[in-house]
Amino acid sequence: MAHQVNNIDFRRHLDRSFWSVTLVLAVISAILIVLIAIWPINDTLAVAATSDYGIDALFKFMLFFAVPIFVFVNGYVVYFARRYKHRSNEPADAVGIPLYGVVPLEIWWTILPALLMVVLGVWSAITLFSLYKPQAGALNVEAVGHQWKFELRYPGLKSSFYGDFYLPVNRPVTMNITSADVVHSFWVPQFRVKLDMVPGMVQQLHFTPTQVGNYPLICTEFCGIGHGDMRTTVHVVPQADYDKWFSGTQQQVAKAAAGASSLNLAAGDAAKGQAAFEQKCSVCHNMAAFAQKKVGPGLQNILNDPAHPKLVDGSTATPENVAHIIQNGYTGDIGVMPNAQANGLSSSDVSNLVAYLKSQSK
Amino acid sequence: MSTDTIDILRRAEAPIHPAPESFIKKYIFSVDHKVVGIQYFIVSGLMILLSGLFAEAIRVQLTGPHNTFLTPQQFDEAFTFHGTLMVWFGAIPLVTGAFGNFVMPLQIGARDVAFPWLNMFSFWTFPPAVLILLSSLAFGAPNAGWTEYPPVSLQAGVGIVFWTTAVFTVGIGATLTALNFLTTVIKMRAPGMTFTRMPLFVWASAVTAVLSLVATTALASALGSLFLSHVFNVPFYDPSRGGTVVLFQHMFWFYSHPAVYILIIPVFGIVSEIIPTFARKPIFGYKLIAYSTVSIALLSFMVWAHHMFTSGLGPWVTMPFMILSMLIAVPTGIKIFSWTATLFGANLRLTTAMLFVLGFLSTFTIGGITGVMLASVPVDWHEHATYFLVAHIHYVLFGGTLMGVLGGIYYWWPKVTGRLMNEKLGKWHFWLTFIFFNATFLPMHFVGLLGMPRRVAYYDPAFHGLNLFISISAFLLAGAFLLLFANAFWSLKKGQAAGPNPWGARTLEWMISSPPPHYNFKEIPEVYSTPYGYGEPLPYSAPYNQVSTTPTY
Repeated sequence: MAHQVNNIDFRRHLDRSFWSVTLVLAVISAILIVLIAIWPINDTLAVAATSDYGIDALFKFMLFFAVPIFVFVNGYVVYFARRYKHRSNEPADAVGIPLYGVVPLEIWWTILPALLMVVLGVWSAITLFSLYKPQAGALNVEAVGHQWKFELRYPGLKSSFYGDFYLPVNRPVTMNITSADVVHSFWVPQFRVKLDMVPGMVQQLHFTPTQVGNYPLICTEFCGIGHGDMRTTVHVVPQADYDKWFSGTQQQVAKAAAGASSLNLAAGDAAKGQAAFEQKCSVCHNMAAFAQKKVGPGLQNILNDPAHPKLVDGSTATPENVAHIIQNGYTGDIGVMPNAQANGLSSSDVSNLVAYLKSQSK
Repeated sequence: MSTDTIDILRRAEAPIHPAPESFIKKYIFSVDHKVVGIQYFIVSGLMILLSGLFAEAIRVQLTGPHNTFLTPQQFDEAFTFHGTLMVWFGAIPLVTGAFGNFVMPLQIGARDVAFPWLNMFSFWTFPPAVLILLSSLAFGAPNAGWTEYPPVSLQAGVGIVFWTTAVFTVGIGATLTALNFLTTVIKMRAPGMTFTRMPLFVWASAVTAVLSLVATTALASALGSLFLSHVFNVPFYDPSRGGTVVLFQHMFWFYSHPAVYILIIPVFGIVSEIIPTFARKPIFGYKLIAYSTVSIALLSFMVWAHHMFTSGLGPWVTMPFMILSMLIAVPTGIKIFSWTATLFGANLRLTTAMLFVLGFLSTFTIGGITGVMLASVPVDWHEHATYFLVAHIHYVLFGGTLMGVLGGIYYWWPKVTGRLMNEKLGKWHFWLTFIFFNATFLPMHFVGLLGMPRRVAYYDPAFHGLNLFISISAFLLAGAFLLLFANAFWSLKKGQAAGPNPWGARTLEWMISSPPPHYNFKEIPEVYSTPYGYGEPLPYSAPYNQVSTTPTY
């Protein structure tokens, strides 16, 4: 390849104009780096746990080298595009300089990024291992993902509960997470931690909430039609408030366990049931024939439908069995329905709904 | 003269191979790589449009935090179809089936691919796959995203069976095309075209073929297991019966990470052709660009688990994947720097094709940088499965693949149709696309960092303003594409005749008439050097060194 020589004098293009542009780009990069360095990430997105462990510092470090790469690539593209643009007074077949490459430059832009990546890799690895380190004296909490709610289990509580939960400030927490059905994910943006809730597998998240406040717990792994609404609140509170909440929850849990068995269908009020239906159930169900599906089937005549003598779970169409499905939810061939707790239905709501469905069955 | 010699001479004068005369053989069941390329272009182009409509439906829904434009069910189907259509039915067939088929054999001086009948067969697996996928809309569409992670994907109706069958079918075509292209590049290069004299798009096509060939088998396993789980209730992914949910993710990403490079490496090739043509100078660091393509391909098989940093693999498994993922930034950086350096000392023609490539340099750089951020496990724990990830993937696949492809469309359109496009309209198309692309996807980074997960039909009202801005930008971005269609129609009706080499390029496809004749090269050219020596005589045997390399547009 005798013609591929680099003996053309490309250095005459490395003139004053080129170096001035380079200097300007360097100054712009430096200013941006300083701005990033003094930017308090905490103001934009609050940090409320020690699980941060320098994640934000890592993020800033990456912005430090991202900025010059972005500024120089874009800056040179714009500068070269203007400076070397074909002018109308040049011949139509004018060509650029026959420069096939500059080996030392190519070596540099291979080695320098590689070194940078090694530094970033080592730093990230150290941070990564610290994320997996359990803290002494941690509060062990279990979180189980369901379609579409979070179930929480605390040591000292007889049974689990769903929804909002509390954590004491400045006490290390080990969150044991798994799932009862499909893959969900446990993410509290202000804690900077996220791990998937995988059925058949328990993962541990270690963090210490450091700021009192209310933070969203969000499912980030797609888990079905309720995914967009699968969120709850983590309340980080002082120890005294936590203790108060804990004893209150203890009583509630005990009451709920008692209430589930004492469903009084006879006391159901069809008018109240209609209101509850329109507010909650009508998102997925029509009050029309079985075939008029929205997400689930239409529910008119559910107790007296010759075409469907059995309910979707195979049981006989009786008020008790309808109540059972509303109470416990349904998973099967035609889809998934959350249970009463996830739908925010109390036991009197369930009785009212059954009364309403009864009134709509001729 | 002996009768033998006369016979040989007569054959040299006569057309090498008679063009088929019946409509069906010429346009429908054609074995001509150029026709197959155009067929792929039309079908995958329609799929990209359809996929774009699904994306716009998603953006309509997200104009408000609790819109009722779509039900959650329809919303899930919309993003599933958007992703599935874009990846397997739009972008991959477009960059390999359309660009690879039309351009690659011409660039190596071949008369067709190695197995023309197989090439036709590959294409004809594609329309049935499209029909299978779209018919699922009538039977309970799949709705767990283009990744279709079990167990949630198995809860859907029979749609998932259609989905696996359709993707499997299109995978058969992709594998056979890969086999075909690899054989073509190895065996059918013109005499004198050594590997290091190949145009960079040919390098890209060959490396992509290796990726498709190796990776698609893993996809087949993932799809097969999903199919068996749904149809025969095999408990691959049911932990209560000994299944392992994460296994699917491993098989899926062992294919789908290389698939990202199947989508982008051909575009690296397109960019490497367009830049020297319009810079009017040799590409900077030819060998390093070629070898960095190979090293990206090798690394791409060792980084699949970086899609699973939150799946529970533990620190000792994620760490090597993290460091290898970061190392991919090195060969990718080499390319970006080399392309930028090619502009240095150029005699630059800012055509529409070149503008799209310069836009690509800008947007793809952002996609590369956010890729490094996501590669760092601790940072990924915050950013994974949020809109930050959505922004990253679109900076790579829209700002990277689609920008490059649009450049490629403007670049090779005159070769395919024989007519020039309207440059003024083209430049409007570029600027509107570039501006509204950034307006659509740049804010997504911030929405994600602030706490908005992806794949949600409803969101926190705190993000309403940004989402409304994103949606409006997305509508305008879609509108910009109307200019491309207008330009294409204008060109076919009124476009100026292109001539063989309107851009003054030097690769072999420009050394023959536009559109190229049946069987491409009457005589097989001989090649004496790399194609990028602007200012020097053309490195081909006569008559292929006779074409003018002065731009005529």
